[in-house]
Amino acid sequence: MFCVIALIIFSILGIFSATHRALALEALDCVFRRVTFRPCKMDFKEKIKNKILAKLLNRSDLAARMFNKHFELLSWIFFILMVASTFYIVKGGYNYYFYGSCNGLNQSGFCAFDPSGENNKITQLNTAGSCSAKGQSEKDLTLSGVDLSSFPKITADSKNTIVFIGCYECDYSRKAYPEIRRLAKTEKTNLIFAHYPAVANTGYLSDIAYCAYSQDQEKFWALNDYLFTADKTKLSDTAFINQALDEFGFNASGINKCLGEPSAKNIIKNQFKELQKTKLYGTPTIFINGQVFVGPKPYRVYRSAIKKFIFF
Amino acid sequence: MINLEKIRQDFALFQKTINGQPPVYFDNACMSLKPLPVIKAINEYYNDYPACAGRSGHKLADMVTKKVAEARKTIAEFINAKHTEEIIFTRNTTEGINLIAHSLKLSPGDIILTTDKEHNSNLIPWQILTKKINVIHKIVPSKPDNTFDLEKFESMMSGQVKLVAMVQTSNLDGVSIPAKEIINIAHQHGALVLLDAAQSAPHKKINVTDLDVDFLAFSGHKMLGPTGTGVLYGKKYLLENLDPFLTGGETVEYSTYSGHKLLPLPEKFEAGLQDYAGIIGLGEAVDYLKKIGYENIAEQEYKLNEYLTEEILKIPQAKIIGPINPSLRGGIVSFYIESMDSNQIAMLLDETSNIMIRSGQHCVHSWFDAHNIKTSARASLYFYNTMAEAEIFINGLNKIIKIL
Repeated sequence: MFCVIALIIFSILGIFSATHRALALEALDCVFRRVTFRPCKMDFKEKIKNKILAKLLNRSDLAARMFNKHFELLSWIFFILMVASTFYIVKGGYNYYFYGSCNGLNQSGFCAFDPSGENNKITQLNTAGSCSAKGQSEKDLTLSGVDLSSFPKITADSKNTIVFIGCYECDYSRKAYPEIRRLAKTEKTNLIFAHYPAVANTGYLSDIAYCAYSQDQEKFWALNDYLFTADKTKLSDTAFINQALDEFGFNASGINKCLGEPSAKNIIKNQFKELQKTKLYGTPTIFINGQVFVGPKPYRVYRSAIKKFIFF
Repeated sequence: MINLEKIRQDFALFQKTINGQPPVYFDNACMSLKPLPVIKAINEYYNDYPACAGRSGHKLADMVTKKVAEARKTIAEFINAKHTEEIIFTRNTTEGINLIAHSLKLSPGDIILTTDKEHNSNLIPWQILTKKINVIHKIVPSKPDNTFDLEKFESMMSGQVKLVAMVQTSNLDGVSIPAKEIINIAHQHGALVLLDAAQSAPHKKINVTDLDVDFLAFSGHKMLGPTGTGVLYGKKYLLENLDPFLTGGETVEYSTYSGHKLLPLPEKFEAGLQDYAGIIGLGEAVDYLKKIGYENIAEQEYKLNEYLTEEILKIPQAKIIGPINPSLRGGIVSFYIESMDSNQIAMLLDETSNIMIRSGQHCVHSWFDAHNIKTSARASLYFYNTMAEAEIFINGLNKIIKIL
C-alpha cells in the first residue's frame, strides 16, 4: 500500500524534481515486485520513513521521536488526506471541464484553472457598468412563469432551447454571446435573445432591439451580432445606433414609428417585467434547456449542456 | 606505525564529500575501498595490453600472461604456498568453496563439520550435498560468548568426518577460530580442512604452510582488490586428484570428438576467459597490503574497535554480538539496540551523518534464526579508518537513539 501511495506522490513531485523521479522509479519497482508476489529490494517504507526522520533529527529531537513513534498513524492520516484531496482534484477537474469552474456550476470560489474567476464574472444589475464576481444565489433563477414569446428568437425546430439574457455594453455578455450564437448554429438549437440593460444608459437599446426584430427578423440578428462586437463606448450614442440601423438596411422611419407606438412601449415594458421574474442578478444569464449558466463559460460548457455530458 | 593521512590520499572516496559531508565508510567486511595503485593496474591492463593470456602468442598476450603469472606468484608468496600452481583464481570465496563442494569425492554417510555461524557460502553447498549424496552436515556450537568451542569440536571429531569446513574469521562478529589447533585435530582423524578466509585474509597474516590447511578460499574485494576476484588455495597433491568443477576453454591441452586431456594445475580449474584485469589488480592489492603490514592493520583496527565498543556499551539498550573484548573481534563490532530496528540504525546513520554500515543478517541467517535475534547493525573497520571517523560514528549513533 505504502509504495503505491509513494508512487503516486513521487510521480507528481517527479515532474518537477529529479530526486523525486528516482524515488518514483524505486516505488514503481517496489509496486511491480509486490504485484508479482516478490519482496521489494529493500523496505521502501522504511527508507522513506528514515529519510524524513533524518531531516527531522537535524531540526528537533522531539519532532523526530514523535514522528518515529506515530509513523503508522501519520501515514494513515496523510493517506486519507491524499485520497480526499485526490477526489477533490478529480472533482475540480471535472467541474472545470463541464462547468467552467472547479467549484461547480456558477460557483465563484477560487479555481486553479481559472484563477481570475473569469468564467463566473457577471455584470451586476444597477451598478452603473461595474463588473463584479460577486453573485447571488443561482438557485432562485428560473424561467418558470416567464413569458418569452415577445423576445427575438430563432426557431430551429429543435428540442433544445437556449435563452440568452445579456447586455450589449457589458463585457461578460459580450464574451458569452458569440459562443452562444456559435452553439445555436452548430447544434441547430432554438435561441431566444433578451437584452437586459444592466448598464442604465443602454436601456433604450431594448426598445431598438424589439422594433428592429419586429421590422426584419433576419436583419435583426445581423444587427444584434454587430452590437455585441461594436465599440461599447459608442452604444449610448443614438447617432451611432441610427447609423448602424441604416447600414444593416433597416427603415429608420419605421423603427422611429415603432418606438413611438404605445403598444410597442407596452410590450417592451412587459418584457422587462418578465425578465425580472427570472430573478436574474447579473448578465449574462443563460438558460440551456432550463439549466442556468451565470457568467461567460467556455464553449465546451455550453455544449456539454446540450450533449448531456453532465452527470452530477 | 602507519601514516594514515598519507595512506588515505590513495583512496579516492576520502577526497570526496557527499551532501557536503565526508563519508565515513565502516562497511569493510562487505567491501573494502580500492587504493589508486590497484585502480591504476586495472586501467593499465585495459589501456595498454587488453589481450588474452595463455592463448595468443603476440606481444600483448605475452604481457598479460606474464602479469597474471606475477600476480599468482605474489599471492602464493603472500599466503606462503609452496607452489604457485596451488593458487586457483576464482570469482570469489563462494566460488572457491563451491569448487571444493562439487569436486571433492564425498560418499553417503561422510560427515562435514562447520561452525554455527557460517556465511551462507559455507553452509548452503553442504546442505545441498546432504540432499544430493546423503552426506551428514554437523554443526559445532560456539561457546556462550560466541567464541569457538575447541573441546566440543574435538568431541565431535571421528573417522567419519571427511571435511572440516569453517569460517576462519566470522563476518557476523569478527571472532576467529583457533585454526591451527582445529587443523591438527582434524588431520589426526584423517579429515581435510577447508577454511573460509574471506574475512581473515584482509586482516591477518595467513601462512598456509604453517597452518597445514588443505584448502583455503578468500575474495579480492574485501582486501583492496577488484570485485569478482577470488582465490582458492589447495595443496598441490589434493588439487591434482580433484576433478574440475567448471570445464571448457583453457582447461584442456587438447580435445577430440571423443575425448580430451586436461591441463595441469592451475589451468584445469580456471575454465573460460579469466578476469585478467581483476587478477592483476588483486596482485597489486596484495603488494599494497604487504607495504601496510598486518601488525599495523591489527593495531589500527583494535584501537578503533576498543573505542567503539566502549562507547556502544554506554547505550543501555545496546548489545554487542560476540565477546565484549574487542581484541577478540578484529575489525568488527556487530550490535543491536532493543526497540530499534537495525536497518533503521543503518539508514539513519547514513542519512544523518554519511556513515555507511551494514545491517541485517549479514548472510548468516541461520545464526540469527537459532538465537532468535532479528538483525544487527555491523560496523566493520579497516586500517584506513580514523579515530575521528569513529567519533563521528558514535556521535551519530547517540543522535539517532534520541528517537527512542
